[in-house]
Formats: sequence, C-alpha cells, structure tokens
Amino acid sequence: MTDLQTAATRRTDAPAGVPATVVLEARQLRVGFRGAPPIVDGIDLSLTAGSMTCLVGESGSGKSLTALALMQLLPPNAEISADLLRIQGTRLAQDGAAALRALRGDRIAMVFQEPMSALNPVMTVGEQVAEPLMRHRGMSRRTAHDAVVAVFRQVQIPGPEERMRAYPHQLSGGMRQRVMIAMALVCRPAVLVADEPTTALDVTIQSQIVRLIDGLREELGTAVLMITHNLAVVAEVADEMIVMYAGRVVERGSREQIFDNPLHPYTLALFAAMPRTEDRGRRLAAIGGQVPSFAAMPPGCRFAPRCPFAIERCHRDTPPLVAHEAGHDVACWRAPIEDYLS
Amino acid sequence: MSALLEVRGLSKTYSSSGGLFARTRKARVVKDVSFTLDRGQTFALVGESGSGKTTIGRMLLRLIEPDAGAVVFDGTDLVALPPTELRAMRRRIQIIFQDPVGSLDPRVRIGEAIAQPIRLHRLRPPEAVGARVAELMSLVGLDPAQASRFAHEFSGGQRQRIAIARALAVEPELIVCDEPVSALDLSIQAQVVNLLADLRDRLGLAYVFISHDMAVVRHLATTVGVLYAGRLVEVGPAETIFSDPRHPYTRMLLAATPSPVPGARPRPAAIEGEPPSPFNESSGCNFSSRCPHRQHDCDAAAPPLRPLAGPHPAQRQVACLHAQTLPPFVALGDSESLMSDRYRRRLTLLRDARLARTA
Repeated sequence: MTDLQTAATRRTDAPAGVPATVVLEARQLRVGFRGAPPIVDGIDLSLTAGSMTCLVGESGSGKSLTALALMQLLPPNAEISADLLRIQGTRLAQDGAAALRALRGDRIAMVFQEPMSALNPVMTVGEQVAEPLMRHRGMSRRTAHDAVVAVFRQVQIPGPEERMRAYPHQLSGGMRQRVMIAMALVCRPAVLVADEPTTALDVTIQSQIVRLIDGLREELGTAVLMITHNLAVVAEVADEMIVMYAGRVVERGSREQIFDNPLHPYTLALFAAMPRTEDRGRRLAAIGGQVPSFAAMPPGCRFAPRCPFAIERCHRDTPPLVAHEAGHDVACWRAPIEDYLS
Repeated sequence: MSALLEVRGLSKTYSSSGGLFARTRKARVVKDVSFTLDRGQTFALVGESGSGKTTIGRMLLRLIEPDAGAVVFDGTDLVALPPTELRAMRRRIQIIFQDPVGSLDPRVRIGEAIAQPIRLHRLRPPEAVGARVAELMSLVGLDPAQASRFAHEFSGGQRQRIAIARALAVEPELIVCDEPVSALDLSIQAQVVNLLADLRDRLGLAYVFISHDMAVVRHLATTVGVLYAGRLVEVGPAETIFSDPRHPYTRMLLAATPSPVPGARPRPAAIEGEPPSPFNESSGCNFSSRCPHRQHDCDAAAPPLRPLAGPHPAQRQVACLHAQTLPPFVALGDSESLMSDRYRRRLTLLRDARLARTA
C-alpha cells in the first residue's frame, strides 16, 4: 500500500448516500472569436458544492479562456456556445452572455493571477470589497463596512479596520491576493474561479494562499475551479483534476486516479518535467517543441506532433474522451501505453 | 587558484522622504553580503520578494551602484573601475532577466539583437558576424532561419533562448541569471534549465543563479546562499543545504516548496507572517518574529554569519544563534519511489521513447 492510499481518505467525510449538489454544469463548451475556429473545443464541466477542481494546462491550453468565458469577461467579438450551461439550476440560453453577466460577482466570482492588475489603484481596498455588497445585496455603507471587516478577518488579513483604508500599492503581493479573495467571496458565490492565484507570489506566501482558498472552500461550501500549471498545488488540494492541451481535455479524473495512474502522454510529460531530487546531475525531462498556435492546429490528436508515442493514426484521427475506469477519462489511442509497446 | 568572483561586504541603501513634514527614512535593502564563486560553478542566490536578490544581481554588473563593498572579478574590483574600463569588463559578465519580453527591443530583428554585442566589441570581422549569429542560435536550440523575425513572434521560452544567445555572443565567463525560468511554463522551464546546464558544461561558464524556486536551484546549484531581508542567513554546498539546512528560514523555504506527490510528507505547520519592511529594522534577528525556534537572546543582537562547526567548516555558514541545536530536519519526500509502479514504468517508457526520437 503506497502513501497515496492514505492521501485518498482525505475527502470522504461527507455522509454516505448524500448526493453532492452540482452548482455549475457545462456540456460541450466552446469558446472562440468570430471568424475563427473555436479555441476551447467542446469541454464538459461539472462542479459540485464544496469541491476543488484543478484545471491543469500550460500557456495555449485554453484554460484561462474557459475561466473568462464562464465569467463573461471576454471581448465583444468572442463567441461562446454550449449544449448546456447551468449555474445553480439556472439554465442559461445558448448564448449565455447576458445571463452570465447578471450572475457574475454574485453567484460566480473570480480571483486573478496578478492582483495588482485586477484591483483599482485609486480606490481603497475596503471600498472595492464593499462595492459588490452594496450593488448586488443592496447593503448600506455601514452594514457593508462591517461585512468587509468580517471577510478580511476570514481571509486572515491582520488589522482589518486599518487595512481597509489602504490603497492596493501599499500592500504586499500576498495581502493583495487576500483582498482579491475577500472581494470574490464576500457575496458568498456558489462558484469561485481562481486563475493561477499563486503564480506571482513568493513560495512561502503561495502555500498560505492555497491553504486559505482550500479552507474557505470547506468553510463556505464553495465549488472552486482552480487553474494552475503547478502539479504540486494540485497534489496538495485537488479533488478532481482536468488536464487541458490546446483547447481540449486530454484527461480527467480524481486526483488519486491521475496521480496513481496517469494515462495521457501529455499528463506524463507534465509530471516528468518537474525537477526532482534524483534529477540532480541529469537532464530534466522536457517536452520538445511547443503548443500549436490556434491558427494552425494539426489534424487528429493535437498533441501528436510532440508525442513520443504517436503513430500514424494519431496524426489523422482525433481520439475521443472515453472512460478508462469509473470517473477517469482519457483521450488517447494508445493509453495505457505499456499495453501498446512490446 | 583564486576565485572567479569574490563579493565582499556589498550593501545598498535607499532613502525615501516621508513627505513634507516627515524625516527621511532609510531602507537598507542589501546588508553586507559576501560570497565567492569559482570558474564553472553555480552560486544560487535564493530569496523571496524584498530579500535583495535582484538588487545584488544588478550590483554585480553595476547596473545599480553599490553603496559599499567590492565586486572582485578575476582579481579586479569592478566597483572601483572608471566607466571606460568597466565596459571592457562587461564583456566578461553578462545578465539574463526574468522577463524575456522586456529585455528584447521589439523593433529589432532577433538576428540583429544577437549581432549587436558582437559588433560593439568587435569580436568578429563584419563578414563573419552572420555566421556567428547562426552558430549561437543553433547553440541555444533556435532555428537560424528565424533570425529575421521580431521578438513578439516567439514564445516565452524561445525569447529566453534569444536572450541567452545574446548573452553568449560576447563569450562571457560569468552569467548572472535573474529568475530566468520563473515566468515560463513548467515544461518550458525544464527545457531552459537543461540548456543552461548544457552550456555551463560545454563552455565552462559560471553562473550566479537568482531564484525563489528551490526545486530548480537544487538542480543547478553548486553552492547556495539564502537571503532574508537583505542579509545572507545561510551559505553552503547545495547537497548539505537541501539535506541538512541549519537556518530556520531555509527550512521554512524548503517546507513551503510544494511536493508533487500527494501525501508524500506530513503537511508542515502553516507559515505565518511576512518579511519585515526594510524601513523597519529590528535590533535583533530579522527573522525572529516568524521563527518557530525563537528564544530570548534572538532579539538582543543580529546574529552574525559564521562558519558552522563540523566537517569542512569554512564551506558552511549560518546566521543563527541556535544553528547547532535545531531539531533534526525531515527532508523533502518527492522521490519517485513514492509514486505508483504504473507511474514509474510509464515515465521510463516516456524517457526511452524521447531518447529514441532524438537519436
């Protein structure tokens, strides 16, 4: 029995037989820009209350575009379509733009990578966090003030009453990220989207922020969609994991399933690329080449040009996302690879 | 044989006026930093925001002027050099920055960007410059046919390679790498780290490698210097720093480095607090307010960086009054042996397949 089994017991404290509430559901979500083929090419999402789903991918995977599409933060020439798009049971029309906008901030909120770019530099942080309360919940200034102090405490900002009067540039990176999280959670949204929330932060602050988000998820029952390319963060907090490459899902499953049994060559390559103690003195296992540009997508499997296991079929036919075991899907003609190599 | 680089007592202080009626405040961002680097070795300067590591990197090339101290490169103190002689020395020390976008002129074709330093220092006759640019591009893994393109046409990882090619154009002996891979995706980080290691082995380069990423540092460094709030708090050979760190901040950094193996090691206690502002200096140890091993004498005076007793004492230095008596350190458990059999088998297949492809 490996140590992975002990980690697997982490999230089974829900009483048996209680169905998890699905708060966000999307089927065949496509995101693109007018006049061009879709960039995010038909992905499915199902987020349950109180769960942590990590969307893993690198630049050019379409992960940020997915998040921005859910938040309706894309420019006017963006096109979003889905067979189904539902937040907390509210079914959104085919073109969900207007409906999503009404829900933003209230039912679904987002935390960005660069807090300095996302915060208004000429408003105090207290004012910025109070704004959604006064707008979406119709609170008075006085009530909003108290609510802000309370949420600042919740995100562990010391001296909340004084800090409220600060401007973003007066705070450290870690503090600004806490303010962003406070702003996102103050309306108690059902869904929180965190796009690389720790990438711009120091490593000791990163672990504080990851734990904070994880703790709040548990405390508030929020469904969290965390976008990251850091597998170590995924290892620490994820329930579910979705791996994206060039706009498509290549593998999805629970954290335990994927860490124990990584099936897609791209997933394997990501794991292999992390520097390890034994690697000292050896070359790191890098993936050659780069992500295809969306203007020039290869036919068939989009990872085939970089895949060391690719055969002729991979370059011709797109592998569908199919279940390998219950809850664990992969899109690859040759997974598990050891069955095909002999 | 003397060291290639000897840094002695390097310091930098910024003054800030507090406004019309407030006193001028001083921020000592780098305090009395000293270290040495031999040819072909890599000195990793590790620290977080506000530690002073970027300032130190720039002071080595005098892109920022030190307020005190010496930077002795191959026997010559750069700090004392007049500008004309400094330019000649700059051929021998180069720098690569974190942001490949900002360091490349968007209006200059990349072939020209690499050629500029060759022409400036007259390292090749004019007719041979083109061939040399092609050679350098191949050396860093770029296709020479792309020399006529502009920087924005390349990805982040490729732009970093262009910056490396440009740094190599002057055939330096030392390259200061300021967070060269932090802004890159994981798999591209691995490519660039491999490249830096290869170049070091092939060309005998020395690196001052500035980073906050312990995993990458562990892969490249010969010696590690840990910076906290402008001071070196621990210096030693890379193996010992990672296996037996003796400063509580070094331990904290290592503990915070996430492990990609779920359940690999017990979750360390949450790390509280943040580094102090350089305007507010305490009289004692700067780290004591966050230190889990803090004792009474820690606030009395700043502990000096001094050799740790034991084998090869001169190689290990720690600035902690209680370095000798810290509890044993539990090392990182991200070893592949903790992953499943299937995982390891497939990784081997992946590595073999890659090798077969490049053969």
